[in-house]
Amino acid sequence: MRFILPYIPLFIAVIPFQAKSGTVQSTDTISGYDLEEFVVSKRKPGTFGLSGPETGFQLNRTELFRAACCNLGESFTTNPSVDVDYADPATGAKQIKLLGLSGSYVQMMTENLPAFRGAAMPYAFRYVPGPWMKSIRVSKGSSTVKNGYEAITGQIDIEYLKPQDEKAFNLNAYIDSELRVELNADANFHLTPHLNTEILAHAEDRFLNHDGNHDGFTDMPDIRQINLQNRWNYFGERYIFHGGISALAEESRAGQTGKHAPENPFLINLDTHRYEGYMKHAFILNRERNTNIALAGNMTMHELDAYYGTKLYYVNEKSAYAQLMFESDLTEKHNLSVGASLNYDYLGQRVKSDPLPGDPRRINERETTPGAYLQYTFKLDRSLTAMAGIRADHSSVYGWFVTPRFNLRYSPWQPLTLKASAGKGYRTVHPWAEYNYLMASGRELLTEQLEQEEAWNYGLSAELSLPLGAQTLGISAEYFHTDFRQQAVVDYDSRPGILSISNLSGKSRSDVWQVSVDFKSSFGLDATAAWRLNDVKTTYGGKYMEKALTSRYKVLLTLSYKTPLELWQFDATFVVNGGGRMPAPYRLDDGEMSWGERFSAFPSLNIQATRWFRHFSIYAGGENLTNFRHKNPVVNASDPWSPKFDPTVVWGPVSGAMAYIGIRFNL
Amino acid sequence: MRRKIIVFAALATALAVQAKDIRKVTVTTEPQMHCANCEKKIKNFFKFEKGIKKIETDIPQQHVTITYDADKTTEQTIIDSFSKIEYQVRKVEDEKNDKR
Repeated sequence: MRFILPYIPLFIAVIPFQAKSGTVQSTDTISGYDLEEFVVSKRKPGTFGLSGPETGFQLNRTELFRAACCNLGESFTTNPSVDVDYADPATGAKQIKLLGLSGSYVQMMTENLPAFRGAAMPYAFRYVPGPWMKSIRVSKGSSTVKNGYEAITGQIDIEYLKPQDEKAFNLNAYIDSELRVELNADANFHLTPHLNTEILAHAEDRFLNHDGNHDGFTDMPDIRQINLQNRWNYFGERYIFHGGISALAEESRAGQTGKHAPENPFLINLDTHRYEGYMKHAFILNRERNTNIALAGNMTMHELDAYYGTKLYYVNEKSAYAQLMFESDLTEKHNLSVGASLNYDYLGQRVKSDPLPGDPRRINERETTPGAYLQYTFKLDRSLTAMAGIRADHSSVYGWFVTPRFNLRYSPWQPLTLKASAGKGYRTVHPWAEYNYLMASGRELLTEQLEQEEAWNYGLSAELSLPLGAQTLGISAEYFHTDFRQQAVVDYDSRPGILSISNLSGKSRSDVWQVSVDFKSSFGLDATAAWRLNDVKTTYGGKYMEKALTSRYKVLLTLSYKTPLELWQFDATFVVNGGGRMPAPYRLDDGEMSWGERFSAFPSLNIQATRWFRHFSIYAGGENLTNFRHKNPVVNASDPWSPKFDPTVVWGPVSGAMAYIGIRFNL
Repeated sequence: MRRKIIVFAALATALAVQAKDIRKVTVTTEPQMHCANCEKKIKNFFKFEKGIKKIETDIPQQHVTITYDADKTTEQTIIDSFSKIEYQVRKVEDEKNDKR
């Protein structure tokens, strides 16, 4: 495995610190600021709703430990709101869907700083190892304007383990029946009463060449990854610092790699190197009024060298982001937050998207976007919170644009909470960086000069939490509508042999309804039942159609039981993914159609048992125990050089039942 | 015969359960439990101690109630064990007596 460790880019940056804003904010905040929201509970729930005006939820380690949860992408298996797409056999790109739409419309953040943009987007969910995470905060629909204009369907903010946490040294080892092996380690050190540091490490490899349907083409790539991070913080009386650096190296190998590979095999090789640094500085001006100034930012270098047969894609992406923010409680009821930000993206790319001989094209993209925001929050006791924000940004490519957002929380009766949101989001699309994995298809990938994506999002939700003696019954219902004014549409339908990414010409929208019931008992049993309906439609080549490869509905049932002393834990998750539309099929050389008009609903069952000991725990389980699998995930696998070859049209699991076992040491 | 064996086994099990000497001890801690982390620290320590059956914490009352099997551990062992996690404790009855 080749790892190049070039220079770690210098980083400027620093930022955010949340003053209390009436929500359970991420925990990377100024110590003591969130105490007002501190809740002492008999058993810490693994998932809980956001208490502020935004709709969403937070997952903590209790929830993450309910499944194998090897990485961020696998963290949502027990959650009804987020769908995890099935990885395609060519690259293992595994994305999520929120509100029925691609994960690219979710703004990814790590500790309140935008993260995993551009070329990192298709693979971001495997760049965050599960054991590194302390919590994940998911807000749905329109949210705060503090972190930029990009969130269209919501935000996912990851909190890593903290240097200032109770001192710990954790080791984790995992192996599954497909011989995927993972090792994770983290340790924090309290160097002085004010200065702390933490080291996080991850390594993974797959030792089995997986071709479950014996078509000569791998069903999933062999991914090797090494990921390291070092974090620091300093807590002074009136000054707080957070900072860190990270490095990741990954190689992915797929294609005709087996023993019976032909002389001239079709290979899909991806080599990634990623380096990141971040800093945050907070100056506390007045503790009583939560008045502070924060400066934060990050800098990233992401290099991807990808080969899809004879097609190739190379990118060296450099991004920098900085934010200056001032926050203060003007009075007990009024909070004001103002700030300015600067984002810079440069993508140096070489693209060869056809299999013909010739040199790759140079496609360089550069965008600088300064902006400023103002956000006002009104809080009336615990019954009403209204948050209104507006920001104006200027893109060096697209000019000026304005992002208004509004969130309201109203609790007329303590067990009942009503929320409403409306707002706008924008996104610059880097088509080759974000969709180059589609080059694995035998079709020709075409793109045009894309406009900035632009969409409105509206949401309504109601949550009822009823105490039934010592138990709690929660019932929630929500509806979200997303309306695209401009969108980059990935079109498999309009032109046979062509896969195009083009500007929306017509309507594109998503309507999502979700109902869920949660039961938390006093004797260790928790249960969740949820149902969601996705109605997502887009215009493809002038035809307004159901969005391809999107399940029409999802049913989820989870059960979790902990024995009285919490020495044993048993978890089960049963999901039914509804069917949906397939892209327009085509006829293969043998006369068969590439696929059917629609894919059918399919069930999936995951179970896990965990035994906790004083200094370690052992967990074992099985995934996809219904053994349902995509019979033909690689279309025309026998002739990958043909234009009819396609490993990118995946709607279900490509491998069958899988067993795993892992051990976590906490020393 | 089979029925007799089942009845015998059930009786034996019932007797064995009955024979257990399950007791409770309630203490207050010093320093006080003031957050969920203190509660977690105490629970995570005692749940792996021999003979412990149940741990209940009541932060407003500042009480920790531990149910234990007296054949496997003793009240004094439990009270002494708090020092391993840097807590001093006092039995609730003792505290009541002091107040009187």
